[in-house]
Amino acid sequence: MKSNIQYCLKLSKMSAVARLNQTARHISTAVGYNTVTEGSKYSSDFKAYLQLPNGELGSYFHDIPLNLNKEKKTVNVIVEISRWSNAKFEISKKNALNPITQDIKLGNVRFVNNIFPFKGYMHNYGAIPQTWDDPTIVDKETGFRGDDDPIDICEIGQRVAKLGDVFEAKVLGALALIDDGELDWKVFVIDSRDPLAKEINDIGDIDARFPGLLESTRKWFKDYKIPDGKPENEFGFNGEFLNADKAIDVISHSNAAWKKLTEGQLEYPKLPHIENTTLNGSPGFIKAKTEDFITQSDNPDAEIPESVDRVYFV
Amino acid sequence: MVYTARQIGAKNTLDYKVYVEQDGKPISPFHDIPLYADESKKILNFVVEIPRWSNAKLEISKEQKLNPIIQDTKKGKLRFVRNVFPHHGYIHNYGAFPQTWEDPNQSHPETKAKGDNDPLDVCEIGEAVGYTGQVKQVKVLGVMALLDEGETDWKVIVIDINDPLAPKLNDIEDVERHLPGLLRATNEWFRVYKIPDGKPENQFAFSGEAKNKKYAEEVIRETNEAWENLIQGKTQPDEISLTSTALPNVASYEEAAAKEVPAGGEDLRDAPIDKSIDKWFFISGASA
Repeated sequence: MKSNIQYCLKLSKMSAVARLNQTARHISTAVGYNTVTEGSKYSSDFKAYLQLPNGELGSYFHDIPLNLNKEKKTVNVIVEISRWSNAKFEISKKNALNPITQDIKLGNVRFVNNIFPFKGYMHNYGAIPQTWDDPTIVDKETGFRGDDDPIDICEIGQRVAKLGDVFEAKVLGALALIDDGELDWKVFVIDSRDPLAKEINDIGDIDARFPGLLESTRKWFKDYKIPDGKPENEFGFNGEFLNADKAIDVISHSNAAWKKLTEGQLEYPKLPHIENTTLNGSPGFIKAKTEDFITQSDNPDAEIPESVDRVYFV
Repeated sequence: MVYTARQIGAKNTLDYKVYVEQDGKPISPFHDIPLYADESKKILNFVVEIPRWSNAKLEISKEQKLNPIIQDTKKGKLRFVRNVFPHHGYIHNYGAFPQTWEDPNQSHPETKAKGDNDPLDVCEIGEAVGYTGQVKQVKVLGVMALLDEGETDWKVIVIDINDPLAPKLNDIEDVERHLPGLLRATNEWFRVYKIPDGKPENQFAFSGEAKNKKYAEEVIRETNEAWENLIQGKTQPDEISLTSTALPNVASYEEAAAKEVPAGGEDLRDAPIDKSIDKWFFISGASA
């Protein structure tokens, strides 16, 4: 840990641009996307920006193509939270270029509670780029408005993925969580490179090869806010697990909502930032100079509070 | 008395060793830490080997001088427990009671199985995640009798006396009341944790039921006695190192042994754990 600190101190003395040439904190992913971080992880000043294959910064929300292949049932996904971890990282809507930041609650960085028998999140958790759960309209099937975020994914492959990983995944199914009164789709996917990916094609295959995982997932999403004094969450579609085709419909639908958002067609209080560096001709298109965005040094991780270790028996 | 841990070598390597120190001097966590921190209050000392939610199979070395905590190996490779869904690594702070020994020469009258030749195993259920080499003060709540590959392998259930729940937990039934499902999960975990390695399911004595505090205290007393016979030379130690730097009255007392331990204090980054250890094993029939 200390050597890591020294390394980071050394980095902080360099210019931002020189730092960008350091490869250690550039986490390579399958399709040439990198992550550039600033600030201390587990603090409110931490930001992880997307770096495009051409070296420019981009937006996790807008600049990674969806690449939805309806025949192969594959899509690009972004990992925000590693399996078995607690820090609630998410693609920020209120920062230009939508870096991944840690959610803040009452001024503190937010961690999810451990709900026995689980440790943190039970999947690699993240989002699908170029999708948006539209809050401006009421969803016809569930009767709820979208939660104003990209569609969430639960990736079930064997590897523990890292914050900022971008890869192609197979779409397997979906669960319509109603979280605090908002529709918050969870799409189940598996990394296309996972050794089991070839054998898993739809929601039923999850139960066959990962017995107990779906049931546990539903229970977890129902209960996970109870330790914070909130009521149980509910589900659309009676809590049914929907199949891969339905999940693909949900993704297509939310991709259409995202298009409206980035084309600037919507009027709604506090819309997410739409700045991007690849959608030439869109109202949010900008030329992003790295030094305008990366303004702090990349500092060592902050300490995770001990209270995060607690296990709740719900 | 202040107990601290002295790390030698990077974690997740064959060089890794954690010595326990008393006031800065290396001692044996097997022999030199008193079993009771306060016998009148029934507070015991407990040595953390494996922090909750981790996978490296760390244990007090019986063979090495001063019994440092090292990672178990199999065919020259570091041993990790596999993740068994829905659990991640060990579900408790796992470790041992000092000054106890499960004598392999003796069969337990009730389980009819011989001891596993190790210090008595302990599962600490408090909310704080411990660290390897930590000495915690705990109270005893009960015990489960695992039959691991035919040997009796008692698992004593305890809680850190400083845990917020400790005042409410006084016997085994309080565990189910305040941590519902934990004992069932413990039972399930110990039964299935070796299945991913191709081994059969383990069995529990007493139909898997956890015995109460009184029963646990008896097991602790017996294993403490067995250790007493060992350290006094009444039982043949075999490969066990009995070297002590804190018990001047035993034959194996050797104060100079403390000086043979490397100084430590190096700047050590953990070695990476092989990605295969990330895998979650889904065993049909095992559930939360």
